[in-house]
Parts: sequence; C-alpha cells; structure tokens
Amino acid sequence: MEQSNKPHRKSRDNKSTAKKKLHTQGHNAKAFAVSAPGKMARQMQRSSDKNEKKLHVPMVDRTPDDDPPPVIVCVVGPPGTGKTTLIKSLVRRMTKTTLTEIKGPITVVSGKNRRLTFLECPADDLNSMIDVAKIADLVLLMIDGNFGFEMETMEFLNLAQHHGMPRVLGVATHLDLFKSQSTLRASKKRLKHRFWTEVYQGAKLFYLSGVINGRYPDREILNLSRFISVMKFRPLKWRNEHPYLLADRITDLTHPDLIQSKGKQIDRKIALYGYLHGTPLPSVGGTKVHIAGVGDFSISQVEKLPDPCPTPAFQQKLDEYERLKLKEEGSNSSSTPTVRRRKRLDDKDKLIYAPMSDVGGVLMDKDAVYIDIGSKKVNNSQSFVPGQEKGQGEQLVTSLQKVDRSIAENFKNVGLQIFSNGIELHKVDKKGEEEEEDANEEEEINSELDQGRSSLRKPKIYGKSVQEDDLDIDNLPSDEDEDDNVDGDKELELVEIDFHDQNDEKLVPETDSEFELSDGENEETWERAMAGKLNNEIKRKRRWNIGKLIYMENISPDDCIRRWRGEDEEDEEDLEESDIEDDEDFFKKKQTNNTDSKNGQNTEIADLEKFIPYFDTFEKLVEKWSDLSSIRNRFIGSTRSNSADDSNSMDEEEEEVFGDFEDLEADDQENVEEESNNNNNESDDSFADFEEEEKKDLTMEEERKLNAEKKEKFRLQFEIEEGDNFKEDDPDNEYDTWYELQKAKMAKQLEINKAELEEMTPEQRQKIEGFKAGSYVRIVFDDVPMEFIENFEPRFPIIMGGLLPTELKFGVVKARLRRHRWHKKILKTNDPLVLSLGWRRFQTLPIYTTSDSRTRTRMLKYTPEHTYCNANFYGPLCAPNTPFCGVQIVANSDTSGGFRIAATGVVEEIDVDVEIVKKLKLIGYPYKIFKNTAFIKDMFSSAMEVARFEGAQIKTVSGIRGEIKRALSKPEGYFRATFEDKILMSDIIILRSWYPVHIKRFYNPVTSLLLKQKTEWKGVRLTGQIRAALNIPTPSNPDSAYKKIERSDRHFNGLKVPKSIQKELPFKSQIHQMKPQKKKTYMAKRAVVLGGEEKKARSFIQKVLTVSRAKEEKRKAKKADQRKERLKRLAKAEEEKLQKDKEKKKEFFAKNGKKRPYGDDDGGARKKR
Amino acid sequence: MSSKKSPFKVFQGSQNFRLRVILSILSGKPIKIEKIRSDDLNPGLKDFEVSFLRLIEAVTNGSSIEISYTGTTIIFKPGIIVGGSYTHNCPTSKPVGYFVEPMLYLAPFSKKKFSLLFRGVTASHNDAGIEAIKWGLLPILEKFGVRECALHTLKRGSPPLGGGEVHLVVDSLIAQPITMHELDRPVITAIKGVAYSTRVSPSLVNRMIDGAKKVLKDIGCEVNITADVWRGENSGKSPGWGITLVSETKKNWYIFAECIGDAGDVPEDIGSKAAYHLLEEISNSAVIGRNQLPLAIVYMVIGKEDIGRLRIAKGQIDEKFIILLRDIKHIFGTEVFLKECPDPDSDDYIITIKGIGFTNANKKIA
Repeated sequence: MEQSNKPHRKSRDNKSTAKKKLHTQGHNAKAFAVSAPGKMARQMQRSSDKNEKKLHVPMVDRTPDDDPPPVIVCVVGPPGTGKTTLIKSLVRRMTKTTLTEIKGPITVVSGKNRRLTFLECPADDLNSMIDVAKIADLVLLMIDGNFGFEMETMEFLNLAQHHGMPRVLGVATHLDLFKSQSTLRASKKRLKHRFWTEVYQGAKLFYLSGVINGRYPDREILNLSRFISVMKFRPLKWRNEHPYLLADRITDLTHPDLIQSKGKQIDRKIALYGYLHGTPLPSVGGTKVHIAGVGDFSISQVEKLPDPCPTPAFQQKLDEYERLKLKEEGSNSSSTPTVRRRKRLDDKDKLIYAPMSDVGGVLMDKDAVYIDIGSKKVNNSQSFVPGQEKGQGEQLVTSLQKVDRSIAENFKNVGLQIFSNGIELHKVDKKGEEEEEDANEEEEINSELDQGRSSLRKPKIYGKSVQEDDLDIDNLPSDEDEDDNVDGDKELELVEIDFHDQNDEKLVPETDSEFELSDGENEETWERAMAGKLNNEIKRKRRWNIGKLIYMENISPDDCIRRWRGEDEEDEEDLEESDIEDDEDFFKKKQTNNTDSKNGQNTEIADLEKFIPYFDTFEKLVEKWSDLSSIRNRFIGSTRSNSADDSNSMDEEEEEVFGDFEDLEADDQENVEEESNNNNNESDDSFADFEEEEKKDLTMEEERKLNAEKKEKFRLQFEIEEGDNFKEDDPDNEYDTWYELQKAKMAKQLEINKAELEEMTPEQRQKIEGFKAGSYVRIVFDDVPMEFIENFEPRFPIIMGGLLPTELKFGVVKARLRRHRWHKKILKTNDPLVLSLGWRRFQTLPIYTTSDSRTRTRMLKYTPEHTYCNANFYGPLCAPNTPFCGVQIVANSDTSGGFRIAATGVVEEIDVDVEIVKKLKLIGYPYKIFKNTAFIKDMFSSAMEVARFEGAQIKTVSGIRGEIKRALSKPEGYFRATFEDKILMSDIIILRSWYPVHIKRFYNPVTSLLLKQKTEWKGVRLTGQIRAALNIPTPSNPDSAYKKIERSDRHFNGLKVPKSIQKELPFKSQIHQMKPQKKKTYMAKRAVVLGGEEKKARSFIQKVLTVSRAKEEKRKAKKADQRKERLKRLAKAEEEKLQKDKEKKKEFFAKNGKKRPYGDDDGGARKKR
Repeated sequence: MSSKKSPFKVFQGSQNFRLRVILSILSGKPIKIEKIRSDDLNPGLKDFEVSFLRLIEAVTNGSSIEISYTGTTIIFKPGIIVGGSYTHNCPTSKPVGYFVEPMLYLAPFSKKKFSLLFRGVTASHNDAGIEAIKWGLLPILEKFGVRECALHTLKRGSPPLGGGEVHLVVDSLIAQPITMHELDRPVITAIKGVAYSTRVSPSLVNRMIDGAKKVLKDIGCEVNITADVWRGENSGKSPGWGITLVSETKKNWYIFAECIGDAGDVPEDIGSKAAYHLLEEISNSAVIGRNQLPLAIVYMVIGKEDIGRLRIAKGQIDEKFIILLRDIKHIFGTEVFLKECPDPDSDDYIITIKGIGFTNANKKIA
C-alpha cells in the first residue's frame, strides 16, 4: 500500500504572513491588544488603589497663605537622645546662632515664607508630651540607635495618634557607637522597619552619626533642615476648628503694689505672647480659652504686636510699601535703605526669636522694647553696631547689665526700656506698672522717639508708651476719618512704630466720643494706623455708616435708623451730644415717634415679637401701588407688557436651550431693555452699560477692560459658579469626582473669604474675622493663680487653646473606649482616669458600660480585655468624634516604668445625663412545691418588697421561667410564684433586676503647671493605691472566688417495689431477680498456690510474651509509617496521573474538539451510528 | 473689661424674647432677661411666654429656667437640644406660629428628629400663619441645608377659640448650616397663594381671591391662588378666613404676605390688602422678606467659619433688624458687615457674615 500523505493545504487568501494578518482590521492589532490582561488588571487595580489611598476627607485649610504662623517643630524623645543638640544644630544651621541653653520655644526664619518654632518636649513629663502632641505640626522623634524605641517614644506616638497625628520624622542618633558596620546596618534596618509599623510604611527616618563640636555633622543637619523646609502639612480637624497659641513669652502684669500690700498669694494678671495658630481668635473680649495645665480663663484683652520674627516675604511687602511712600514724599529720611531681595535668604533675614532663651536679644511689648545685650560673658566693650563707638546711651545700657539680677531668671527684671539717645533711660523693674505712669511723661518720650532708633537693630521694634488702661484711646475707630489718613501719610517712617503721638489724639474727631463709649473692646493700634494709610484713597462722604451705627449700644435703634436715613434735622449738634443726653433723647423720642410718621415707622414696630412686618395703611398702599412700574423689574416677563419684541422671545428660547447660565444674560438683556424702554434706572448690573457702549465702537483696550471687569464680577459669585459647575447632580459638571467637586467648592469659598475680608478696612476685618493665625499677639488674663507665675519654668511648654461653645458646658460624655493593649491592667469602673480630651487634661471617674442589645446601658465593672466598651464620664463636653486618650497616673514618682497610656477612645455622644444600670440578681429558695406553683423564701425581707415585684419574671437556675404572684402574709417576705413546669427543691430562684448607677460628678483638671515640681501632679488616687496605702485588703466575696468544683457522684437508690405490689404486677412487668447462688464455684472451692517449676515457667512465659509484644508493637509502628509513606506516594502518583490525564484531555480536545467545525456536528453523530 | 462679670448675658425688656432664648441655646451661654414688662400694669411674663419656655424645656435636656417672683426677670441656662416627639398645647393668646417659628432655629441641631404637634389657634394678625411658615420660612431652611422639614396642617383653628393642629416634622439633622451666598435680586416668576376659610361660607374665599387677583393682574406674571375651605371637625372651633400670598423665584426664594379677616371685613379688601402687602414687601426687600430675615441671619451667623453674603434692601434695615444684630452680637460676639451693593443703580446692601463655626454636637455619631 502506498503511503498517503496529507495533501498540502493551500491558504485561502494571500494574507498569509503574520504581519499582514495583524493588520487585517486596518490597524496593528498588537498595538492595541492587551498582551497580559491579568497583569494589566492588577496594575490598574493597584494604581487606582494608590490613588484612592491618597484621598482624604476634603477639609478646609484655614491657615492663611500669606504670612502663615510658624510651623511648630517639636523635638521629642527620651532623655539623653540628643534633643537639645539637635535643636542647637538646626538653629545654628538656620540662623548662625549658637544657643547656650534652650528654654521655651525658639522661632527662626527658615525660608522666604516659612518660620519654624522649635520646641523641646521635656522627656520626663507626660503632661508636656500630651500638650505637645496636640500642637505639633512636625515631630522630630529622637531615637537612640543603640536602644531602639523606648517607652517614651511609644507613648508619644500613641498620644499623637489620638490627637490628630502630626507629621513625624524619625531621627536616630548615637549611631557612631556601633563598632561594626554590619551591626550598624542591621540595626538601622530594624529601626526603620519598626518605625514604619508605628508611623506608616515608608516614613522617613534620619540617621545622625556623631557629635562634632557639640553639634551633629553639618551635612546631615543640612539634609534634615532641607527636608523640614519643604515639608507640607495637612490640616488636622481639631486644630482647624480652634485657635491656639504656643506661648513663647510670659509676663506678670500685676501691680507690684498689690503684691506688696496683699502678699504674694493674690491672683495675678499675666500676659502671654505668641503666634496664633488654627482658626482666628475672636477679637471680642471675654473669649474663653484653656491654658493647658492651668485652667480655663476668659481673655481680658488681646492685641496684635508687630511680628518679632517676620518672614522675608512679609518684610519685603513692608519695604515695598515704604519705598512707595518714600517715592511719594521724596526722601526726607534715609535711615532705612531699601534692599533688593535675593533668592537666597540674607543673613539679615535669618532671624531668631526666643525670648525665653537668651538669644536674639530683642523683646517687644505693647509699649516697650527690651533689648537683651547678651549674657555677661559677652565682651562689654563692644558696641551693638560693629565697628562703631559706643554711644552714650549704649554705654548706659551696658552698664546696667552689671545689675546682679539675671535676665533669664526673672522676667520682671528682663530688660531696659530704651528711649531716644539715652536721655530717657528707664530701668524697668516691673513692666506692669509703668503703664500707670502719667501720660504726660510718655508723650514727651514719644516725641523724641524716632531719633533714637538708628543705632538699634534693624527690626521693626519701636516702642510706644500707651497706658494700660487707656482703652478709650485704643478704641478710637479711626478708619473712616480722613484725618487719620493725613496722619498716616506724615509719618511713613513709623509704620509699625508709633501711632500715638499727640497729633493723633488731637485729630480724633469729637463725634467719635460715642464710638468710644459704645464698644468696649480694644482695637489694634498698629493695625489701625496701617489701615489709615491703606485707606488713603477712599473718600467717604460725611455721613453715618450704618455698619457702625448698628453696634452703638447707646443709640436706640430707631435713632440709628433716623440718623442713618439722614432724617435728623439737628444733625451736627445732635451728634455731638454726649451719650447721657443721648439717653434722654431716647426717652423723648418715644413720644415724638408716635406722631412722627414721615418715615413710616411708629412705635408698634418696637414690638419685635410681632412677626408681620410693618405696613402702611391700606389707603396709602392703594395709592402707592396704583402704579406698579417701580417694582415691575422684579418680575419675570416684565418687558413683555411694555414691548413684546422678538429679542425677549429669543431670550426665552436660549434659556431653554442653555439652562442657568444663559438665564443670567437673559436677565441682563432684560435689564438693558428696561433701561432703554422704561427709562427706569433699576437695572441690576453694569452690564447694561457694557451693552450700550458696545453700540459705539469700542477700542480693543476698552473692551478688554470691560471683559476683565465682568470676569472679576463673576469670580466671586458663588451662585453663578454653582449654576455652572457646582451642580452635584449634574453628570456633566466639569469635575470628575465628588472629591474634586468638594475641593473646588472649598477653594472657591476660601477665595470669597479672602476677597471679602480684603475689602474691609483692617479694623473692620479684625472685628469680623478676629486675630488670624500667624499674628503675634499678646493676650492678657486676669486672675491667674499666682503659682503659675511663681513656679514658672520655661522648660515646660505653655499652650493656650480656644474653646468652642460646646466645650464650655459640662455634662456627661459618652465615649467609645478601649484599654490600650500595651497597658498592663484592665481599668476599673469609677477608678480615676486622667483624660486628655480636647485641650484639657482632667481627672474624672468613668463608668464603663456596654449596651445590652440597645435596650439598656449596663455597667461593666472592668473594661473588657481586647475590645471596645463605652465609657461615660462627667466633664467638659466635646463634639462627637473627638478622639482622646487616658492615663492613670501622670506623676513620675508613681510610675513603675510600664506603658502609661491606659485607654484610647473617641467621643460618641454628649448629654446632660445618662441612664446606666447594673445587674442585680435576687435569689431565693423554694420551700414548698406544688405542681406549677411554688413558695419561695429568702428573696425579700418584707411583703412590701414583694408587692413591688409582683408580676416580675423569675427563673430557676435550670431555666424554668416563672412569675411572682403574691406575697404571703405569714413569713414576712415569702411569696407564691408560678412556673411553667414543676421545679425542684434544689433549684435556686433568680430574679434579675436593674439597678440605676449614677455618674459621680467629678472633674479635676490636671494643673501641673501650677506645681513647683511639674512632673509630680497627683490627683485622686486609684482604688488600688488607696488600699495599698491604707493597708486595706481587697474585699472579696467568698462566693465569687473561683474554687475547685467538686461534684460528688450522684448516688441513685435502687428501685424498691413493695412485695404486695410486686405480687399484683403482671408477669411482663415483674421484676426478675435471680436468687443469690448458694453453691460455691469451682474456683472458690480451690485455693491455687503456684510453686516450683510452674511458677518459673509462668514467669518465663510472661517474659517471652512481653518481649514479643514489644517487638510486635515496634513492627506495627514501623508498618504504619511505611503505610503512610506508601499512601503519600500513592496520592502523589494519583495526582500526577490526574494531571497527566488532564493534559491529555486538553491536548486531545485542543486537537480534536476544536478542529471540528460547528456544522460538522450532525455528521459526526451519524458516523457514530 | 474686667473678668468679674456676671456669668450671664444680660438683656432687658420683653422684646425679642424668643430669639434671645433661642440664641442662648445655640450659643450655650446662660442669659438673664430683666425688666420684662416691669412698667406694665400687668408685669412679668405673659402666659404664652411661659408656654414657650415650657416648650423649650420639653425639647431640650438640662435647661434650667428660673423665673423671679414677679415674673419680670428670668434666668435661663441652656441645656442641649434633644428634640423628639412632643405635643404642645398653645394658649389661645398666641397662634401656633409663635411657637413653631423658634423651633425652626433649633430643630436641625438636635439629638433626635423633631416631631412636634402643636394645638391651638393657627392664625392671627401678628404672628406667623401656617402658610407663612410652610412657604416662607421652610424654604429658607432649605437654603441652609435643612432639606427634610415639613409642617403638616391637620386641623385649622381660627381665633379666638382655635382648635387647630399642626405637625412640625424636621427630619434632617445637620452638623452645620451651609454657607449661603445670594448677591442678586432673584426675578419673581410667579405668585401663588392660598385663601382659606374655616366655618364660613366658601364664597368668601373666592371673593378674597378675586380681590387679590385684581391688584396683581397688572404685574404680568402668573398668579395662582388656591381656595382652601375647611369643613367639619377639622376646621376648629371658630369661624375665620384669611389669605397668604407668596412670590416665587426660580432660585427658590420666596417673599410672602398674609392677612386674615375679622368679622365685618370685606373679603375683597382683605385679598387686595394681602396683595398690596406683598407688593410692598417685594419693593422693600432684595432677596428675602423682612420677616424671613432673622431666620436667615441667625443661620448665617451659626454657619461655618466662612463668609456668607446676602443682599438686602435698604428698607429692610429697620429697628427690628438693628435689635436683632445687637442681640446676636451680645451673645455670639459676631458683627455683621454691611456694605453697599456694587450695583450702582440700587441702594441695596450686602450683609457679610462670618459664621462662628457652630457645629451640632448634640447628634450622636453612628
């Protein structure tokens, strides 16, 4: 037979090459195909995961962009890890200043727009750690490379996490102590990974090797400082809702006479200085704030001071402003040559401000400047200005240094008030009292002020003496007055220096007397003068400003209205009346008003409870509205009645087509038409002009200008934007995601805020906005405990946080709480716990509860081990969702070295009271049982008690349910009950009841800053501590103790059927009992004693058997092993076989199954048949 | 500026009584109101004011109210707003509107949803009627993000005997009111209204409608007034009739006027009076009417710490307005910034208010 080969199959078409095949679809199929779909899907998944991870809940960042507050950089770590060295190195790197000691915060300029406040967190104080965690923007977490993470580090990280987690940079130090490179590397890696688990994957950890010249290596510090300077910060919720301040200076303003006369123990008046952070601080007095570690206070006075450490950008702005002024005036004083800015920071700009440490040397107060000319080791023969002779003033000043009180020690003795050329040299002992000096003297001083300045440092640190109590001067509203503007022009030199020279006061218009008396708050003088200048161009008509009038409390509302509407005939004279007269006026007016109807207001309107507004009489209204033309433009289609022209209909068409946006223009066009047709001046916007002007030929510039105006107008209109882009439901708004939309909305709102605020004059702005973040303020408090001042130690940070209305109230906070898993013990209900909630730290007595399927809140004696429970405690309220942490002990002497953070949680709800119950089980015993009824004893002691519980559910231990029926008269407290089944005498009857638990209203703020030993604050002791101290044993109910359960075997007696009954029973039920055997058995008959050979044989046999049994056992074990092996092998083989089969099948079907064309199917079937 | 101030914010006089109590609750600051009608022949709190305080006590938890012996001084320490369901029997001296109106300030910020049933008179000459609240005040709330609020009229009860029943349901509990911006005078697209009657002939209603339509016909926009005649046991105890007119805009701003008729009034006159009042109100206002202003401003004040803007007409700055702003300043410390509208042709003002950043802390987190 001849071999038959498969004939060559010809290709169907000529597109045979692979390349050509790829292009069958008109494009290269490979180029658009997915080669590995699984991989691609994974990639896409990952990238979208990453994007999603980046998203945060959109939050408004309320930190101002221009001149933001310094970034608070906290250096935290256990003692001896090199915190001070790090700050010194960083400060040296940034300002070229070598610090000798670090006390309190240090503010340095680090970039064109950035300042940093370095703060060293005392390593040994938990309170400070808590406070610092609340305000830090950036934490430099010092880790000793040799020890790894220490307890303080872990504690701090956990604290920080529960107060909004600032940015954390790890800094590992002491790495030079590693001998070998490999251990160094290994430990670096270990540290890094441990740090990542604590912070986040990929968190930056710096390594600092050794200390050279008391500093870390310059290169490493440079890297670190660069890293810090480019760092971005996310707004944190709590800080975005509260104003706060890290005090970098504190002074005691109490009158020394008072201290002398009444003793040291009187409450003090103090001033805190610092940069504001967070939201703006309201400018009205009496704002409630909390000073951490001291208590709640209401601010008695705030004022903005010139920035002691301005950023170059801010300075540049000021300089530019000055230059402009100079240009305008011609140079009359060239004391400050204008400087051209460079990209790098000038040495001059590298400012440092650390009033508590002895650097920088310049302190600014409201009314004085204090210059610290260095510690005593500074060579006294040198002048302030290098290369110059010491002036007389300077000599005097330096000579004063020899006074034996050191500056840093005693703040009351800090500095010297420098006045011009040393003629007026004051040694200032107490800052507080010099304000009390008479005004004349101060004015003299003021007049001579500007000359003295040239020899001083460059900064804007000029003083002015203002009396502490001259609120009325402070209160002058100067913005509106042209007089002030003139004033501002004259003294451009003194920009932020001295606004209170005589002419200023002279120029205050008399009419303002009312303003002075009306509002009792301080206005910022410095701001005010700036305002005057900025306001130069604004020309205002001499007329009453309604915005002002409204808030002048001494003018009655109707008077306000009349003055504002200009209906007062006797205007000028009347205005100059004193407010007493005004008050009389007020009384008079009431009567006159009745008759006075020209303005349409009468006394009825004063009844504010009336909802319906005032209307004229019916007749007048009829008369007035006989002609509707005046309000016709308020209605749609108003033009239709006048001129039914086609443009209007076209508008409507457009409206339908384009929706809201066109609607705008439609309005405009309507307006245009009105203007032309109606001769009605009520058109709504300036568009009308635009349209009109368009008719005349406009030049390109004009048109552009008009377009720009139009744009500007739309820029700040939220609603229009909303119509355009912000429609959330609209699927084709220009934002892809909800997130983007929210972001855009926020940005828009911020822009509006900024624009609106910029429109106001500075003091209006301050009134509306408050003191915004970034301003350097002085905040005065009255009645601060004297211990705060007496025991002040700059090492511990002073933090002031603003309080929201809710936080002023006290009540019960319901929170979700969990014992920290690193804390060794569980927490006990009503054991004191120090909570750090909001700004406050306080001790309270929480009651831990759980919710029994949401029907009741049941008390728990202890927190559960590993899960959340609820905690209810009395304290200041705080908005839900606020996280907090709790510690049991803050005093260092009481801690045993364990992890101190006992609990963490989050506020869930606030209320004035809460209903908590605890379970109370009453038990009784049956003493007589009928079928379903039983009589129970020992549960109650009187029939009255039983009556209270009649109908209550009871239960036996075995689970039989029942009900209390009735008290028995005889044995007191016994009762009848019914059950669903017969109970046993051995049953215990349980009545489950709920007993209300009341929260103890205990709130004990941790006033650690008032102590001499700040780390030793001790509050209410824990129960255990008290027991230990008083040697009281822990009470224990013997019933509650866990004992070994001894269950005796239950012995059941045999069934004994009486003979008489047995007889009667039928055979089937007869109890069959064998008679006891009487014969002795075979074995019993014989006593076998082995002996001799038999015994030997038997023992031998036994031995042999034992050996053989052991052998057998061994064999069996081996066999079992072998069997196991075999089974395994078999299973493997089986699997292989399966695999093979599968492959075969696959192959087969690949070959056969596919090849067969679809239509071939029946053919195949036929073949089979 | 000493810190030895009294712990209360002190007010004098009976004016703005409800608002002061409301502001105190919202701000959490205790207030003391002195000299309540101290010069009056009948000094002290009136029965409706006491009834109002009862209502406040019912919807808040932990409020303490101390009324002096003469009733001329009260000390109010606010608690937290809890809401819930409650039935309030209003005295016949004031209509339910007097009690419903202040609830609108509190309802969105409570712990539980508000569901209050008010029984009493549903209309009066001086206080808000049902339609005024439904069509005038609730839309204002909607602008601030309170979307689910409704006032259901179960029964109408005309003065003097009343017998009406309204149900206020506020289902949306919001954390913060939305910051609102309205700088343009919205164009009125239609005027709608309701003329109602209880226990009188339905022809009165139609006559009122005719009277109103006659006045409004020249305006040229759609006027749609519905008749609402109440009969049987749902119509209260006394005969009465009235009309409420509302001007509608595309942006859902409403300006309204209402009038009720007394015995002896001519229905056409009442209808046309309401229409004239509406015209007057429109001419006197920019975006919202005078009686909506307090609600809008208070919501703006307690808004986010952003700047909200609202255009008002010059005519809206009256004594009520000033007293309102002074009270707000007294309690919240916020001032309102008034600036003239950049629009050269109108003498409108723009109120600029920075919210105090109030948040609803009463609500439980899920």
